[in-house]
Amino acid sequence: MLRRVAASLFWAARYLERAQWNARLVDVNYSLLLEVPPRDADPWEPLVRITGQYDSFAERHSRADEGAVIDFFTFDRENPSSIRNCVEALRNNLSPLRHLISSELWMAVNGLYFDAQEWSPGILATQGVFAFFATLKDRFYTILGIITNTLPRDSAYDLIDIGTLLERADNVSRMLDVKYHFLLPRLEDIGGPADLRQWGAVLKSASALEAFRKTHGNAITVAGTVDYLVFEPTFPRSIRFSIERLAAALERTTMAGADQSSSLTFSKELLERLRSTSANQVIADGLHEFLLDAQSRYARLADLIFREFMSLD
Amino acid sequence: MSDEPINEMFDLQGRPRSECARVVAYLRGMDSKRLAELPQRAHQMFQTMGVTFNVYGDDEGGERIFPFDPVPRIIPKQTWTELEAGLIQRVRALNAFVSDVYGERAIIHDGIIPRDLIIGSHQFRHAAIGIKPRDGVHVTVAGIDLVRASDGRFHVLEDNVRTPSGVSYVLENRRIMARLMPELIRGLRVRSVENYPADLLASLSELAPDAVDSPTVALLTPGPFNSAFFEHVFLSHQMGIELVEGRDLVCIDHKLFMRTVSGLRRVDVLYRRIDDDFLDPVVFRPDSLLGVAGLTAVMRAGNVAVANGIGTGIADDKAVYAYTPAMIRYYFNEEPIIPIVETFLLRDTDVRERILKDLDRYVVKPTGASGGYGVVIGPQASDEDLAIARKQIEADPAAFIAQPVIQLSVHPTLTGSLNGDKTALAPRHVDLRPFVLMGRKPRVLAGGLTRVALREGSMIVNSSQGGGSKDTWVLED
Repeated sequence: MLRRVAASLFWAARYLERAQWNARLVDVNYSLLLEVPPRDADPWEPLVRITGQYDSFAERHSRADEGAVIDFFTFDRENPSSIRNCVEALRNNLSPLRHLISSELWMAVNGLYFDAQEWSPGILATQGVFAFFATLKDRFYTILGIITNTLPRDSAYDLIDIGTLLERADNVSRMLDVKYHFLLPRLEDIGGPADLRQWGAVLKSASALEAFRKTHGNAITVAGTVDYLVFEPTFPRSIRFSIERLAAALERTTMAGADQSSSLTFSKELLERLRSTSANQVIADGLHEFLLDAQSRYARLADLIFREFMSLD
Repeated sequence: MSDEPINEMFDLQGRPRSECARVVAYLRGMDSKRLAELPQRAHQMFQTMGVTFNVYGDDEGGERIFPFDPVPRIIPKQTWTELEAGLIQRVRALNAFVSDVYGERAIIHDGIIPRDLIIGSHQFRHAAIGIKPRDGVHVTVAGIDLVRASDGRFHVLEDNVRTPSGVSYVLENRRIMARLMPELIRGLRVRSVENYPADLLASLSELAPDAVDSPTVALLTPGPFNSAFFEHVFLSHQMGIELVEGRDLVCIDHKLFMRTVSGLRRVDVLYRRIDDDFLDPVVFRPDSLLGVAGLTAVMRAGNVAVANGIGTGIADDKAVYAYTPAMIRYYFNEEPIIPIVETFLLRDTDVRERILKDLDRYVVKPTGASGGYGVVIGPQASDEDLAIARKQIEADPAAFIAQPVIQLSVHPTLTGSLNGDKTALAPRHVDLRPFVLMGRKPRVLAGGLTRVALREGSMIVNSSQGGGSKDTWVLED
C-alpha cells in the first residue's frame, strides 16, 4: 500500500471515530440533564473542556449553554472537530481512495457528507434533538458495519483499525479526565443517586453502561468506572482493549515491512503498563496524572506511526 | 452544404429516423411527470456515486456534477463500422507521425510537412527524440472529436492524443441509463462499453519492458484538484492498479519505484494523466511538484513505459491537423475514411490576408490549446473579440488556424425541468468523442462520449463551459 494512502485511511478512521464519539457525548449529556437537574450553572461546559478547545469556544461564546455547545459540537465550521467537519474530513480523505474501499462504504460516507452540508441548527427544532442524534448514531454504526462487513482484512483494514483505536483510546482518556475533575469534588454525593447517574452517564458515553452492569451489577463507583473504561480486557471501547488490538494491527502491518518497528515496540510498552496496574492503583497515584501521561503517549505513538508508515521523506 | 444543422433523431419531414424509432416511441409513451423527473433522478444517482468533475476557480467547493441528458444518442451499426475503421486508420497515422517526428523525420525530408511547422510547434518536445517505446506505440489512448456537419457526414474536428479525458462518463452514463430505462436498453441490443478498463489495462501492459512477466501498472494523477480527478480514481479502481501522485514515486538507479508501507516497489508502466510540462522537473518545468524527477531518463533506459509518450501533442497540434489527410496518404497510401474540416493556416501570408478580411465568418483556434480554450467563433463574436483576435493573429500568425463554421448536428434534449420551467424536448448541438486504444492491436470503445451544448443555440460542448453529456448507443444490428 502507498504511504500516502495509509495516511488517508488512518485519518479517515480517526475522523469517523471522533464524529461518532462527539455525537454520543452530546446525546448522553442531553439525556442526563433531562433526568438529573443540573447542579452547575453551566452543565454543558465540561463537554467543551473534553475537546481541549475551550479557549477557541470561549472566544466566540459568552456562555456554554445547551444551544451553543450542541452547535459547537455538531454544526460549527470553525471547530475542526465538529461532527460536520469530521464528516467532511472523513469524506475528503476517502474520496481519492474510492478505488480501495467498497462502493457501499463510499456511498454511505458520501451520502452522509451531502446531508451534513445541508444541516443547519434549525434541524434540531424540526427533528428534535433525540431523533437527530439517534439517526446520526445509526448512520455511524451503519458505516462501521459496512467497514466490518465489506472490507477484506488486509493492510488497509489494519490502518483503519489503527486510526480508530488510537482515536478511541485518546477520547476515552480525555473524557475520563474531565469528568473526574468535574464530578469528584462533590464528596457529599458519593454513592447517592446523582452520583450513580453521573458515572452511569460516563459509562454510557462509551456505550459501556449495559456491558458494565453485566459484570459489576448496579454498583457504579468511580473505581469501577475507571476500571471498566481503562482496564477491562473484554470491552471494545476500553483503553486496554483498544491498545491490544492496535498493537496486533501494527504487528501485521510491520510484518509486511521493516524488521524493527519503533511504533510496535512503543505500543507493546503501553500495553504492558496497562496490564501491570489497576484502577485503584492509578486513582491512588493520581488519575489525572495517569491520564495526562497516557494522552501524551498516544500523541507520541501517532507520531511514530506517521514516521514509520506514512511520511514521504 | 446547406446551412441547417441536421437532427440526429428526426428527418426533415419530422419522422423519427429508423434506428431511433423505438427510442422515440418509448419517450412518447412515458407520462410527462416521469419524463420530467428523469434529469433529477440521474442527478441524484451521480451525486451518490460521487461522479463529479472539478472546476478551476469555482467558489462553491469546486466540485460539480457533469450535467447529464437522459435522451440517448443512437448510432446504427453500419455507421459505426465505418467510423471505427476511420478512427483506427487515423490514430495509426497519428502514432506513425509521432514515431517519425522523434525518429527518422521522413515526412519532413520528403517534403510532406514543413519542418519549421513541427520544430516551431509549442507541442514539440526535444526530450522525446530517441525514446523508442515498445512496438513503436507512442499514442496508447486517443480521443478523437467528431462532429456531424449539415451534409450528414461525420468529420474530425480535433484530435486529442495527450491525456484525453471523458471516458469515465461514458461508463457511468451507461450505468445510469441502465437504471433509468432498463426495458429500452435491453430491447434495443446496445453494444456494451464495460470492457474498456480491461482493454485499457491490456493495452498498457503490452507496453511493458520485455523482461517483465506481469507488469506493475500505475496511474499518475496530478491529484484531487485536477478537473479529471474523478476519472483517475475511477479508471485506477476499474483496472485494479495504484493511483499515484508524483510524491509517491521516486527514481533510483534509472528505475521507477513507488513508496509503500512496506518499502519501495517497482513500477513498469505508468499511465500518466499529467501534461508533459509537469512530468519531470529535470527535463521540463523545474518548479513542477506534480511529476517525478528523473522519469525521462528511466524511460530512455527502457526501464519504464509511459503512456501516452512524451511529445505526442505534436500530433494534435491544430496546424498539423491540416496535414492529417496527407499524413494518412503518405504512411499508408490510403484515402482518409473520415474527412477533416477545411483548415487554413494563418502562417501563410496570402491566406491570412484573405481570412482577416472576413474574420467574422470563420472559427479561429490557437494551434496548441485544447478543451475549447481560446477559440473565437466569428459569427457569434463581438467586434471587440474580433479585434483582439486580429491583433493576436498578426502578432503570432503561426499560432492560429481558421476554419469555416460547421453547423454541428442537433439532438433532442430534455430542457426546462432543472430551472422550474415546463419540461420539453428541444434540439441542442452535439459532438462525439470516441476513444481508441493502441496496444499490439487497436481497440475501440463502442460509441464514445456524446457532449451536448445545453444552452439554446450554443455550439460549445466543453464541460468547463456549460456542456453536458448523453449516453451513446451503438446498436448491435
